[in-house]
Amino acid sequence: MAARALLLGFILVFACFSDTCFAIIYFSSLQRTLVVTASHPQRLLKAGEDKITVTWGLNQSFPAGTDSAYKTIKVQLCYAPISQVDRAWRKTHDSLSKDKTCQFKIVKTPYTTTNHTSEWTIERDVPTATYFVRAYALDAQDQQVAYGQNTDAKKTTNLFEIQAITGRHVSLDIASVCFSAFSVVALMGFFFAEKRKGGKAQQ
Amino acid sequence: MSDIEGSPGSSMHGVTGRELTFALSVASPIVPTDTTANFDLPVDSEHKAKVFKLFSFANPHMRTFHLSWISFFTCFVSTFAAAPLVPIIRDNLNLKKQDIGNAGVASVSGSIFSRLVMGAVCDLLGPRYGCAFLIMLSAPTVFSMSFVKDAGGYIAVRFMIGFSLATFVSCQYWMSTMFNSKIIGLVNGTAAGWGNMGGGATQLIMPLVYDIIRRVGATPFTAWRIAFFIPGWLHIIMGILVLTLGQDLPDGNLSSLQKKGNVAKDKFGKVLWYAVTNYRTWVFVLLYGYSMGVELSTDNVIAEYFYDRFNLKLHTAGIIAATFGMANLVARPFGGYASDKAAQLFGMRGRLWVLWILQTAGGAFCIWLGRANSLPIAILAMILFSIGAQAACGATFGIIPFISRRSLGIISGLTGAGGNFGSGLTQLIFFSTSRFSTAAGLTWMGVMIVACTLPVSLVHFPQWGSMFLPPSKDITMSTEEHYYSSEWNEDEKKKGMHSASLKFAENSRSERGKRVASTPTPPNTTPTHV
Repeated sequence: MAARALLLGFILVFACFSDTCFAIIYFSSLQRTLVVTASHPQRLLKAGEDKITVTWGLNQSFPAGTDSAYKTIKVQLCYAPISQVDRAWRKTHDSLSKDKTCQFKIVKTPYTTTNHTSEWTIERDVPTATYFVRAYALDAQDQQVAYGQNTDAKKTTNLFEIQAITGRHVSLDIASVCFSAFSVVALMGFFFAEKRKGGKAQQ
Repeated sequence: MSDIEGSPGSSMHGVTGRELTFALSVASPIVPTDTTANFDLPVDSEHKAKVFKLFSFANPHMRTFHLSWISFFTCFVSTFAAAPLVPIIRDNLNLKKQDIGNAGVASVSGSIFSRLVMGAVCDLLGPRYGCAFLIMLSAPTVFSMSFVKDAGGYIAVRFMIGFSLATFVSCQYWMSTMFNSKIIGLVNGTAAGWGNMGGGATQLIMPLVYDIIRRVGATPFTAWRIAFFIPGWLHIIMGILVLTLGQDLPDGNLSSLQKKGNVAKDKFGKVLWYAVTNYRTWVFVLLYGYSMGVELSTDNVIAEYFYDRFNLKLHTAGIIAATFGMANLVARPFGGYASDKAAQLFGMRGRLWVLWILQTAGGAFCIWLGRANSLPIAILAMILFSIGAQAACGATFGIIPFISRRSLGIISGLTGAGGNFGSGLTQLIFFSTSRFSTAAGLTWMGVMIVACTLPVSLVHFPQWGSMFLPPSKDITMSTEEHYYSSEWNEDEKKKGMHSASLKFAENSRSERGKRVASTPTPPNTTPTHV
């Protein structure tokens, strides 16, 4: 009986901690060893149309061997502070597993020691907001070990705006009007038809 | 059993003290069956059904029941359709937390007014047209989601869709033309509970529809707009079904409804006066705001909460959120049942305690939900919270019929409005500001539920007592007749207008619980045989 209770206790405790199987990685513990630049045709970009060209590479001022653990580079589109105000679903957390700053993946490629450039067409599900670009260096276990971003530490410079698509379509609008009209007309039709039938029956 | 006229206790013959507020059927001696009628169900002299046969679609009674509750369900689906899709909508329309919160408030505010108007519409056009008009005229508001491009438009459309919740009134009104008053409690309670389930079903339906549309190839910001066509089509389909398959009365004749005078013969001003000057009305308006009100608020925020807090996929969050609203299937009727059982044993005091226990438990579980940090605990807390809140709704309407006989309609209406008002208030205070997170908002809402349920201890009936106080010792004041006839003045009593209230008072003696048998025959009551 006691052995069963103990086993159950172990399972419960283990279940509770299973989330922390992997070590918690904090953003503040990462080194900024990558240099990232992003260029774009104009400051206000359109989702679905415009392209961003991102370049990244190791900052040469760091000693050789700094990048020995880097296996993959993940470049992401991240919200600038002004777009995080009153929007807790975009909040910055130091713990990377909770962090919601960077929600869109631009590209994920194996790490190369030479500088890499990638051109990305802005996806059509990117919302209207102000952004910057950040690249994470991942190790063999897909854990973040270093980062770089095209803006400063306070995230105030080199920001750019993206204008989302509206999601509206003319065909949708027309369908909407048609069904609405049908609903009203059908109702009125029934009502007056029954009134007339009632009137006739009374005569 | 021999009936000696006027002998002590003779007026109690037939009353066992075990009558349920929600009965499944009415036995023949109590309400005689009209044997000349040719309906599927046994009916009374007005051809209202005496039996509630749940799985039948027989015309007209059970068919009316199903048309009615499904219409109400549809309106709940469309009113809360945006809630599980908020994670997509907030990105498309660039919404802030205040906008999302305000839209939630707007979605429940509209029906405060539309429910009041609906009563008059049902009187004028009958419940069938009342229901059909509302559901088909609100279909365009659902379709107009495809035009929305910013926060203002979003809030406006959700406000307009919210008007459709007035189908509650047409639903209850329509039932009362089709079902005998002895079983109307269960019928209306079931219809209301199953309609409320729509708030849960929509959290399942909308993400599913959205997923399918996305797989077909639409982008997210278009897919959610297309998804709204589903509730829109449901409105049209139900409206047409109601018009073609429904009828106002068991005999199908609308004009006789107006001639016979189902329209109240009483003066509206008087009825309103006795409703608003009874303090119990306001206690229950407040209380319902923290059972039904918090249920509606949670319908609006829970999917987004699970999506954000636990990093779930949209349809996973939807499934979890759906279990909250779907618990209405059993939780609300359970609340009514628990209230009845408590009344059998402890009378009205039992009903009040059951309400307090259920609603406070709901509040406690809401606090737990806000503080839960792991997904399984949060789900468990949410389910327990839903059962507590929804059972409290059922238990509330186990007590409402006894507050007043004359003003029951208005008190029910005010209570319903209080529910929506409480929902708007809690969303405004706890879920429209960035000052605290949604989790903290849920916790504080739970605290408010517990606090605002305390006033039920103030509800005192002279004839039955309250949660802590016994009934009045005064021999006249401690009678049901005194309480229910105090709503009529001497002139009205002379005209005999209070006779229905007296009859009700007699039947309500079951609220004394086990003390029924020892009731002294009160003086000055109309004898059984005149």
